[in-house]
Amino acid sequence: MSKAPRLVAQRTAAALAILGACASVAHADFDIPTGAPSSPLFGALPFSQEMPMFEEFGTKPVPTSNTCPTCVQLPQPTTCDGTPDTIALDNFLKQTIYPLPQRTANTSTQNPWASKIGSCVYPLAQSAAEGRPTGEWFSHQRWGEFTPKVFVQTAQIGARANRGLRDTVQRHTYSNGEFAPGGLYYRGGTTSGAQVRFHPNMPVQSPKSIWTFDGTMPPKLLVARYGEPIVFRHYNALPIDYAANNGFGAHTITTHLHNGHTPAESDGFTGAFYFPGQYYDYRWPMILAGHDSINTTATDPRAGFPNGAGGITRIRGDWRETMSTLWFHDHMVDYTAQNVYKGNAAVMNIFSAVDRGKEGYLCNYTNAANPNLCLPSGTSLDWGNRDYDVNLLVADKAWDASGQLYFNIFNLNGFLGDRATVNWAYKPYMNVRARRYRLRILNGSVSRLWKFTIVTANGTRVPFHMVANDGNIMEHSVPFPNAESQELPGQGIGERFDIVIDFKPFPVGTKLYLVNLMEHDDGRGPKEVVPLASVMNNSYNGDPVVGKIMEFRVAAYTGIDRSMNPADYVEGKKKMIPRPTFTAAELATARKRTFEFGRSGNTDSMPWTIKTDGGQGLGTDIHRIDAAPNKGDVEIWRVSTDGGWAHPVHIHFEEGQIIGRDGGAPKIWEKWARKDLYTIGNEAGLARTFDIALRFREFMGTYMEHCHNTQHEDHRMLLRWDIKNPGQTIAIPAPIPTWEGTTYEPSHDNSGPGSSLAGSP
Amino acid sequence: MAVLRSLMFAFAALATTWTGTAAPAAQTMEGGWHGNYFPNVELTTHDGKKVKFYDDVIRGKVVAINFIYTSCGDVCPLDTAHMRQVHTLLGDRVGKDIHFYSISVDPDNDTPQALRRYMRTFDTGAGWTFLTGKIEDIVLIQKKLGLRIVDIKKIRDHDTRLIMGNERTSQWIKRSPYDDPTILGNILSSTLHNHTGTQVGNLASYEKAGSVKNLSRGQYLYRTRCASCHTFGGGDRLGPDLKGVVGARDRVWLTRWIKEPNKMIAEKDPLAMELMSRYRNLPMPNLSLGDDEAAAVIHYMSEQDKALADQK
Repeated sequence: MSKAPRLVAQRTAAALAILGACASVAHADFDIPTGAPSSPLFGALPFSQEMPMFEEFGTKPVPTSNTCPTCVQLPQPTTCDGTPDTIALDNFLKQTIYPLPQRTANTSTQNPWASKIGSCVYPLAQSAAEGRPTGEWFSHQRWGEFTPKVFVQTAQIGARANRGLRDTVQRHTYSNGEFAPGGLYYRGGTTSGAQVRFHPNMPVQSPKSIWTFDGTMPPKLLVARYGEPIVFRHYNALPIDYAANNGFGAHTITTHLHNGHTPAESDGFTGAFYFPGQYYDYRWPMILAGHDSINTTATDPRAGFPNGAGGITRIRGDWRETMSTLWFHDHMVDYTAQNVYKGNAAVMNIFSAVDRGKEGYLCNYTNAANPNLCLPSGTSLDWGNRDYDVNLLVADKAWDASGQLYFNIFNLNGFLGDRATVNWAYKPYMNVRARRYRLRILNGSVSRLWKFTIVTANGTRVPFHMVANDGNIMEHSVPFPNAESQELPGQGIGERFDIVIDFKPFPVGTKLYLVNLMEHDDGRGPKEVVPLASVMNNSYNGDPVVGKIMEFRVAAYTGIDRSMNPADYVEGKKKMIPRPTFTAAELATARKRTFEFGRSGNTDSMPWTIKTDGGQGLGTDIHRIDAAPNKGDVEIWRVSTDGGWAHPVHIHFEEGQIIGRDGGAPKIWEKWARKDLYTIGNEAGLARTFDIALRFREFMGTYMEHCHNTQHEDHRMLLRWDIKNPGQTIAIPAPIPTWEGTTYEPSHDNSGPGSSLAGSP
Repeated sequence: MAVLRSLMFAFAALATTWTGTAAPAAQTMEGGWHGNYFPNVELTTHDGKKVKFYDDVIRGKVVAINFIYTSCGDVCPLDTAHMRQVHTLLGDRVGKDIHFYSISVDPDNDTPQALRRYMRTFDTGAGWTFLTGKIEDIVLIQKKLGLRIVDIKKIRDHDTRLIMGNERTSQWIKRSPYDDPTILGNILSSTLHNHTGTQVGNLASYEKAGSVKNLSRGQYLYRTRCASCHTFGGGDRLGPDLKGVVGARDRVWLTRWIKEPNKMIAEKDPLAMELMSRYRNLPMPNLSLGDDEAAAVIHYMSEQDKALADQK
């Protein structure tokens, strides 16, 4: 650690010398290996554009009747490398959901693009409308119990101008709170006209450069409630011709809700991808973990969801498993990095009895019997107010000389962008009221870890509290700075940190900054943490994504802030959401598995493999099952790396508790948390080993565990694990999707003695 | 005229990768990874023919590329044998709509003649071209493909990953040559052809490619290090059938033969010499296996012998 400042100083001196020679080239000394020249700014200055707020998908009730005489099918493109007409597509997406979702994949309706595909690819003997793997293996589990009540339909499609498709389904209706005329975020009450670009000075992105939900900006948010099962109908409206992608991105997709308590068939298994023209009905049950075993009479007032009329509808399950901040993104085998980077990512906020999204209303801080924690949000709506509850999607990007999004498909060490974006905007500013805010920060990068702090213009750190780690509200809030860390912890790809910050102490007009201190010069992992002082006095001139990435501009607040004070919930004081418990006996008898992330030895040249239980270092094979816990079991999983590279390890489906960090106690922000990402590495204070306690419940089937540096993931650092029913004898076979339907190949159980599936093929 | 010719070339290339139909008119090539990215350096084939890397080797094609050198005693023979397995699975599609290339990282020594000798030794099939050239050009190709570039002083440590790509669609996939050959074959036959074409691994052949059920260390090593050249009870391939070998050979000799065959060949061990002459002078490669790994492989083979005996 002691050598870090010296290294920075040396490089800075070198940088200054170089800058003297060519002062106009920013960061001339620091070759971020995008594989391309630095991304041109087209004269855009930092903090010169307002940050877009996420646009809600909006949910609608699933109709009861499966008839729709006026409904049309997904409009098809006129050329093999084209996309559907934008007006026709909007009209299509405005329709109700038709045909209705069903338990097994819909193969009775044809893919509406079948004939076009036939002329572009090869004549199809058959092609189903739904691309979900056919038959029982990928049928929706417990369909009758968790029948979808609401739906969303969207299409993954190339960039296009927003035409206000979703204006009428924004819950604030542009007439409530800060979204109403006169409010801080009111910009005419529509997103119509919004273009896909990183800055108003920069070129509009081509439909081949960016593919995203609806094809439009702002980026999308799904507002959800517990107890309200969702069907997310995701159309693939990408070009039939693979090559219409500006050099990266696969036109086959699969969508993973990270980290929903979701049955395997709707978890976005990497091998369950589907083709242009098809849809996939992801059914997200929105149940609390423990549904089958805890609070089965649905009497606990803390387990429930806002009913829209001031009350709470109680549901089964363990309220301590309540989740809040999620995201969903592509998980296409071999192409996750390219597709997510290209825009296949959206966020999801789940509201509940404890996280109602309404402050000042039956708050827990006034009466401990009230479940509503009253996190900063707003007061206009019964639940899910977004006035002071803001999602920040942070990602590094690069673009070419013409301003089009750029990705280096050949750099498998990891891809770094050289420009910081928040909510897809290059270094934006955000107007904030002088009051408390909840900021939900998501690292949506490919390979970059971030380390955030918030400072004043002169570099004084602004205190805040972390209230949720990986989107799960913690037992206690954690103040930053604290004795263990000045900044937020190193934030791995996919990690979510919700913080509560109070802008009240700052005079109107004050500018504050979100600052990143994690330096990379390579996509393998972070290099070091840059001292704040060298960023603030401008002596640091290395990684262009280190430094201020976003500005907060404080505006007057005339209301009364009735959100909770996170300082009342720190260790030793009130609890937010206590962690679910494991008994000593459960932990003592838990099956232990180990997963070592790193290069395999000897002559193998596979750089990114996982050794399960001390076995061979293996790369991805969707046929192979490396772990197979029984439904209901508690297990302890150890993830580790031998150093050198950083690996944000993501375990799907179940939230885990860190019970050991490098053989010792977890950090303060880990010990109160339920997590789904465990970032291991050798640099910048990362842990090399985590021991994680997990409990597997409610659903069975095929899940994954992988490095969330998606370039590592795509190049084989991903394994399959299954949850099986006790006594189950046949492993779910591996789906092999084709244009004409899914075939299955047998799976191979490699999950070790005691949990192998006796008699599996 | 030049424009017309290049257009015709583009159409010809499309016809081979875009199965069965007329090429769509609006195939834009902006963005992507094409002639603006890949070097068009000159290489020499095993037949002594001069070719350009971009124009002749990869342009408009689905390709599998690896890097080898013919005097390589360990990893290259194994990689070549693995690639040969994939080649066999793909059958006569290789040379038509799938092209195999092995590029030398030791061009000073790997003359076309040396490459031809190597090809004869491995009995490489049709549609598989071996290439040599200037080292700086080859390093440039490696760099552009995202490989670790070869250090000529440590040539043995060169990057052995297999690169599979479709130049037209800008899809490039890297894999370990030790991946299941059926999976590699499917990438080349189907995935890189816009998921068209026939999957080479249907239910039955995936099973044949080797189950990893209850994968033991010995079985893993056997599958990834031995199975590409040897069968177990299926007759001779590049090397001898290994059925019964554990019982037939002296254990100390066999262990050493698995660990350091190159040294035994250099010492002119009589049995080693006899095996060489019987198998087209293809030397058993040094697989960099340690004592415990050699023991694991031997243990696995002895178990297989037992299992075969029990079946009878």
